[in-house]
Amino acid sequence: MDLRAGDSWGMLACLCTVLWHLPAVPALNRTGDPGPGPSIQKTYDLTRYLEHQLRSLAGTYLNYLGPPFNEPDFNPPRLGAETLPRATVNLEVWRSLNDKLRLTQNYEAYSHLLCYLRGLNRQAATAELRRSLAHFCTSLQGLLGSIAGVMAALGHPLPQPLPGTEPAWAPGPAHSDFLQKMDDFWLLKELQTWLWRSAKDFNRLKKKVQPPAAAVTLHLEAHGF
Amino acid sequence: MAAPVPWACCAVLAAAAAVVYTQRHSPQEAPHVQYERLGSDVTLPCGTANWDAAVTWRVNGTDLAPDLLNGSQLVLRGLELGHSGLYACFHRDSWHLRHQVLLHVGLPPREPVLSCRSNTYPKGFYCSWHLPTPTYIPNTFNVTVLHGSKIMVCEKDPALKNRCHIRYMHLFSTIKYKVSISVSNALGHNATAITFDEFTIVKPDPPENVVARPVPSNPRRLEVTWQTPSTWPDPESFPLKFFLRYRPLILDQWQHVELSDGTAHTITDAYAGKEYIIQVAAKDNEIGTWSDWSVAAHATPWTEEPRHLTTEAQAPGEPALCPLPGTLSCSSAGGCHTLCTNPAAPRSLPVGHPWQGSWGRGVVPEPWEAGSACRGRRGTFERRVGGSLLGEATPA
Repeated sequence: MDLRAGDSWGMLACLCTVLWHLPAVPALNRTGDPGPGPSIQKTYDLTRYLEHQLRSLAGTYLNYLGPPFNEPDFNPPRLGAETLPRATVNLEVWRSLNDKLRLTQNYEAYSHLLCYLRGLNRQAATAELRRSLAHFCTSLQGLLGSIAGVMAALGHPLPQPLPGTEPAWAPGPAHSDFLQKMDDFWLLKELQTWLWRSAKDFNRLKKKVQPPAAAVTLHLEAHGF
Repeated sequence: MAAPVPWACCAVLAAAAAVVYTQRHSPQEAPHVQYERLGSDVTLPCGTANWDAAVTWRVNGTDLAPDLLNGSQLVLRGLELGHSGLYACFHRDSWHLRHQVLLHVGLPPREPVLSCRSNTYPKGFYCSWHLPTPTYIPNTFNVTVLHGSKIMVCEKDPALKNRCHIRYMHLFSTIKYKVSISVSNALGHNATAITFDEFTIVKPDPPENVVARPVPSNPRRLEVTWQTPSTWPDPESFPLKFFLRYRPLILDQWQHVELSDGTAHTITDAYAGKEYIIQVAAKDNEIGTWSDWSVAAHATPWTEEPRHLTTEAQAPGEPALCPLPGTLSCSSAGGCHTLCTNPAAPRSLPVGHPWQGSWGRGVVPEPWEAGSACRGRRGTFERRVGGSLLGEATPA
């Protein structure tokens, strides 16, 4: 993608690249550690906190976008925003996800979403909105770190981006104001849905990863990404 | 006027021929079914009979007064529900049945009330509907479910005719569901639709098998257990949290406890000896709304055997037979007793039993027994139990 001066999308791509190379959290010391349970619980709690924070942020932002985006019955078709990570998944597929895949999908989704949110922040008109968005981005960054911690505790490597799959949400040549607002709407909606899904994902992980002894065996299985 | 006369003459001849024709050739028809609106007026012609044909009308076998007739047509004004029935008209002389009308009086449908709920998340959800007011005639309902642009199948409930079920194919969808219903009958048509997100309609069924038990040797405890509703398919991956409420039967104020885990709880602040009513509600940990309250459980905390059993009917732990907290009264002679018309009322009250006197109310802090001395200062009466001053009063 070409980086014209002042091109916000170019800056976005740059930032996103930086994000993908988050330092991996070192694996916890195996001897005497309580296992991944507490960090799974912490991640679960973070999703709840973020979901709560998002509710007020989304309300404010949608009001800023104005009608019809802030109407409760607004039910547009899902057009555009194809690169947004979708939380929706077939029920059986979701149930049968292995731990590594479950965590990876969460991690990748929030990495993308954080990128897009930072793009949103750049365009936000009022200082108050920028402040709220910045605060939310920080919290979301914390969630990413927490997920990374769980992955490390379970012995899974952090996902590395393959070349060409970097989030490149470039707008079309004549990306109108309305379409931009639609993209914002779907971003917030997808973020909210992901947070609900993550709560369920981490619930499932909590139940499966109970005894600390199991963590050692999982570490051995994690080779070969 | 010469011209109309021959014309009128021909008309009469033609009509007469027609009457003769229809009398000979009209077949015995099945009753014509007709729906009419409540409160309206209707004119029932006697089939193809001439306006001035001599006919008699009957409804459900009963003759109708001729003043309702307009020629051979039956006129009914201001239709009521009672007008529904089988109307038949007969040729007056031959009693030949000419025509039958099965009349149904009803109303066009008002806008239906539609609601959807998922008590089996993540399996699916169901939608129910009803009409706010009856139409008195048969209605047909047609339900369509759209998820974005995709049409989903709503399977009819095997038992309830106003309900159908939809299975979730995908979870965690950002696209809303739109459920539309149209209702129609012979007199009209109406429709409505609702739109909602997957998460907002989640509402589990109430917890099942709520049981409350006293805890031996613990006069202020009650142990409550319950089960997750059997309709909730996956409590492991979709855990429920619970809300417990309890109060003694004699009070109106509920106590509340929210529990994020487990299906048991011990109440530790129950009033001794009082019968409690306990209910539990459930909610998915993260999404949706609280269920309705469960069926109530009743229990009374454990109480010690009373030392002076003044009445055989009074078993330990049973509530005092006095209505509302026992009314205590002190007489100027210095005795205290319960003022109840019920002769089986207890003469002693356990710790924690609420009492109410003409000067106030409280809770018995120590066991009180009939005949405890009341000491009175001049103009004032004190009530003492075991040496502690409980209250004072001045005589009326």
